[in-house]
Amino acid sequence: MSVLSLDGVTVSRGAGPVIRDVSLEVVSGTITALVGPNGAGKTSLLEAISGVIDASSGTISLDGEPLGKLSRVRRAHRGIVHIEQGRAVFPSLTVVENVRLASGNAARANEAIDMFPELEKRRDSPTGLLSGGEQQMVVLARAFAAQPTFLLIDEMSLGLAPVVFTRLLPMVQRFAEDGVGVLLVEQFTNLALSVARQALVFSNGRVTFQGEASVLQQSPEVLHTAYLGGSPAH
Amino acid sequence: MPRASFPRVLAFLVPFLVAAGGILVGFALSVGLPGYFVFLGTSAIVAAIAILGLGIVTGSAGMIALCQLTFAAVGAWVVAGLNVIGAPGGFVVWLAFGGVAAGVVGILVGLPALRLRGVNLAVVTLGFAAAADVTLVQIQFPGSVTGTSIERPEAFGTDREFFFLGILVLAACGLLVYFLQRSRWGSSWKAVAFSERGTASTGQSVPGAKLTAFAVSAALGGVSGGLIAGQVGLAFASSFSPIQSLALYVLAIMSGAHLIDMAIFGGLLWIVVPELLKRWGVPQDWAFVVFGVLGVQALTSGTNLGTGIRNLWWKRALRRSAVPTKSLSHDVDPAPPHRQPSRGEPILVVRDLSVTFGKVEALKKVSFELVEGTVLGLIGPNGAGKSTLVDALTGFLPQHTGFVSLDGRSLDKLSPTRRARLGLRRTFQQDRVPPSLTIDAYVRFAARRRLSTPEIADALQFFGCPPASTRLASVDVGTRRLVEVAANVLSQPRVLLLDEPAAGLSHEEHVDLGRRLTQVPDRFGTSIILIEHDLDLVRSTCDSIMVLDFGSVLASGPQDQVLANPDVIKAYMGETELL
Amino acid sequence: MLQGALSGLAAGGVYAIIAVCLTLMSRLVRVVNFAQAATGMFGSYVAVWMVSKAGIPIGLATVVGILIGGLLSGLIGWIIATWLSEADTSTRSAVTVGPLLLLISLSFILFGNKPQPFQPLLAGPAFTVSGVVISQVTVVIVVLAIVVAAASKLVLSRTSVGTKLRALSERPTTAELIGIPAKPLGVAVWAITGIISTIVIVIVAPSQSNDAIALSMLIVPGAAAALLGAFRRLDLAVLGGLVLGVIQGTVAQIDQVSFVRYFLPFLFIVGLLLWNQRKAVWDAAR
Repeated sequence: MSVLSLDGVTVSRGAGPVIRDVSLEVVSGTITALVGPNGAGKTSLLEAISGVIDASSGTISLDGEPLGKLSRVRRAHRGIVHIEQGRAVFPSLTVVENVRLASGNAARANEAIDMFPELEKRRDSPTGLLSGGEQQMVVLARAFAAQPTFLLIDEMSLGLAPVVFTRLLPMVQRFAEDGVGVLLVEQFTNLALSVARQALVFSNGRVTFQGEASVLQQSPEVLHTAYLGGSPAH
Repeated sequence: MPRASFPRVLAFLVPFLVAAGGILVGFALSVGLPGYFVFLGTSAIVAAIAILGLGIVTGSAGMIALCQLTFAAVGAWVVAGLNVIGAPGGFVVWLAFGGVAAGVVGILVGLPALRLRGVNLAVVTLGFAAAADVTLVQIQFPGSVTGTSIERPEAFGTDREFFFLGILVLAACGLLVYFLQRSRWGSSWKAVAFSERGTASTGQSVPGAKLTAFAVSAALGGVSGGLIAGQVGLAFASSFSPIQSLALYVLAIMSGAHLIDMAIFGGLLWIVVPELLKRWGVPQDWAFVVFGVLGVQALTSGTNLGTGIRNLWWKRALRRSAVPTKSLSHDVDPAPPHRQPSRGEPILVVRDLSVTFGKVEALKKVSFELVEGTVLGLIGPNGAGKSTLVDALTGFLPQHTGFVSLDGRSLDKLSPTRRARLGLRRTFQQDRVPPSLTIDAYVRFAARRRLSTPEIADALQFFGCPPASTRLASVDVGTRRLVEVAANVLSQPRVLLLDEPAAGLSHEEHVDLGRRLTQVPDRFGTSIILIEHDLDLVRSTCDSIMVLDFGSVLASGPQDQVLANPDVIKAYMGETELL
Repeated sequence: MLQGALSGLAAGGVYAIIAVCLTLMSRLVRVVNFAQAATGMFGSYVAVWMVSKAGIPIGLATVVGILIGGLLSGLIGWIIATWLSEADTSTRSAVTVGPLLLLISLSFILFGNKPQPFQPLLAGPAFTVSGVVISQVTVVIVVLAIVVAAASKLVLSRTSVGTKLRALSERPTTAELIGIPAKPLGVAVWAITGIISTIVIVIVAPSQSNDAIALSMLIVPGAAAALLGAFRRLDLAVLGGLVLGVIQGTVAQIDQVSFVRYFLPFLFIVGLLLWNQRKAVWDAAR
């Protein structure tokens, strides 16, 4: 049982803070959904956790131990795996090469690929030639091979048809069932909430809701305000 | 703001007064310095002029040029040649010819720069330097075999007098560079160094900016080479070797040679460092080792002496004057947020616009019209193709298919520069405002028309930007993008495409900006397409709205209808039926 | 004519190996290393000094010199990986102008600016083709060029380190996020290309003009050759080097145009760059 905790984290980018004062706890085996309109700073928050950028204030700790200035490589070795926005594959590498990068254990890599029948047939094709959905399968398989303790997923559905995304979502649930703590940034709000236990809504860099995902599902006006602005009254 | 109230005439005179002062000091030195130092001083002047040139091509325009002394060799060669054939006019005229010839060679070497940038250009210039060096050793300078020494002008015959001539030439070059740096050319160099896309979007030709930088820089190199020829009498290839070009490059980088005083300082270092080493009994070759180490330091840290000193100075000046912090002025009457869409003529017509990247269809047969005098909101989820649409409309994606016309004129096959000049302007989601300019210089550069100072001040205040004398480097990215909007509006385009102009501003500022944008059509005669995520801003600004999803138009029409459309809400919030 | 062409083959082999090093560096660590040949020059000068001044046996001295070349290159790589890990190719490459200047000047100070008394490691003819003698140096250099290119290709495509390096070159941030250590791998690439450049310069220096500037400026024809493969393809880099050498050798034989040979690398560079970049229009993707 591991805990990833954020305490008063603020992240800045050039112009100033893009996300302010986020406190959050993610425990093993649960999914936390981060939703809200674009530009709300969700990507920057994930980047601060995985070490792509530094948080400007606040503490991020793993099992009570602050990560501080630990490099992204070290954080990856500690089990924090970050799936970036877009197609985070290495296009000239084959499917097998992509997945094996994350694990020296060939059996684990094969097991990861075997989870997706689509990939099995194209093990030795360069991933650049795969469809968008297949490329995201490669990314998920690679994350599985890495055996993470925490998995940060940033808008995996970007540019994918909803039908394709619904194929990928069970895999995210499988991670949680295996005891991985998942932070899911997602534009398909309802789908994300349907698998999450905890949810945070971001708007203009601030948390406007934090609580049970099921509560959020039953109060659509919170989301409506976050996305469409204005007051929830009308 | 003491600067703005400074009398203009006096401001114009200052550089001449500085030059005159420099000449006086130079004259005193030419009389008073011990003989040995007069020769060294001339070498410092020569180096300073060459570094001044590098300051333009490398410092301002951001291109890596490793052949400055090859251009100097061209200048020296021309001076020596004219001397041998006894051309009329004498040394000063030959020197001018040397500069022009080097400038022409600079354009020739710079021609590949039209397509090349960055490190590729560095490879080209180093290749040119190496080839020219071997060739020069072989063909020799005119007159060097026969020992025909270069004839100095009568008035500057002695070494002391020649030193003074060098001072005069340096002062002239300094003045030239001073005024060029403040002209459109100077702005275009700094713009192209920061972003070629941003430069083209202001209607400035990118090749033009690069070629002028190369030509002026090489011409200064040629002048410096001509002076070397006059200084030593007989020019030899060893004075112009590639390794010295490398050292000059490094010196220009570390001193910050885009600043005239720092270029002169660089020229002094060129002489002082080896001289000091010699006094301390260290071989002079260590000077280049020192330059190499300092160069690595400057290049890895991205800093230079001149900018460092000036930043300190500005910081102190800022503390003393306590410039008012930016805030959107509230004295503008807020326009009624919901106007009836006017029934003007369509000014921008788009028919069946499609863009594909490889196998991905980013835009599928997009058609719409922008009605003159209105603000059209363009919304849609991430990756829907909004920025791609802006790129295609403004000419950055020439492979698009379909038809686009502005004011009845087809924009087919026109470059971004041409489209911008015809009055189709855009701003960028990324920061594309060159930080090395002041707001005033940037606004004048981007507006491409004569602007009075009050006109600029008025527009800056309207958009809540800092005063015109502020340096862009000292304001945050959000403010820079507001300045970008103000400058583009001041160019009075027919249509302005704003790509998320409010990113980096607080939510309150979003709404404030929106109120101002609604007045732009009436105030400046510009119709607007606004891409924005914040629907509060869209709601308060746009007459009508178009929604893109997966590269197609999902809905378009008056804002209340579009925002009430359940399909739009679904697409925007990413909701989907679970089947 | 044939004699000229074949005499250019040794030089062509050198260009080819430098080109392979430059290609590897450009692909794997995003740098055009202007000091690529200079580190080789410095390493081989150290070897010469150890033999002629310190009386160390030539074999040992050569090995030490080669290691010093690799060490210097690795040091530059470490500096760039530490302070410019996220910078663009141009900025990273510009830094290497500093070491180029520094190494040339330092070699003037330590070893003087005269050509060095290199003892040939290889001497004498290997065989004769229609009356033209092919030296052992030519054979070794050309074979070495092909072997280095083929070995690099094999390492990159068949080993796990190679896969990691390719991953790093494609998406450095993503690679780091899955735990691939960018810095040690990058510095290793620098050191290995430094070693290869020193080896080739140690071999050819005795048989060509070997002052510090001439050897350091081998970077220019090397870059010209690498451009044939657009700084990406190793096979074309080798081919480019050999072709450039052969053309230069041929042109040198024709008295009227012999000076053109100095400009050949430059013309090669300009022509190939314009061809490679014919479609690239903008400096940024968006």
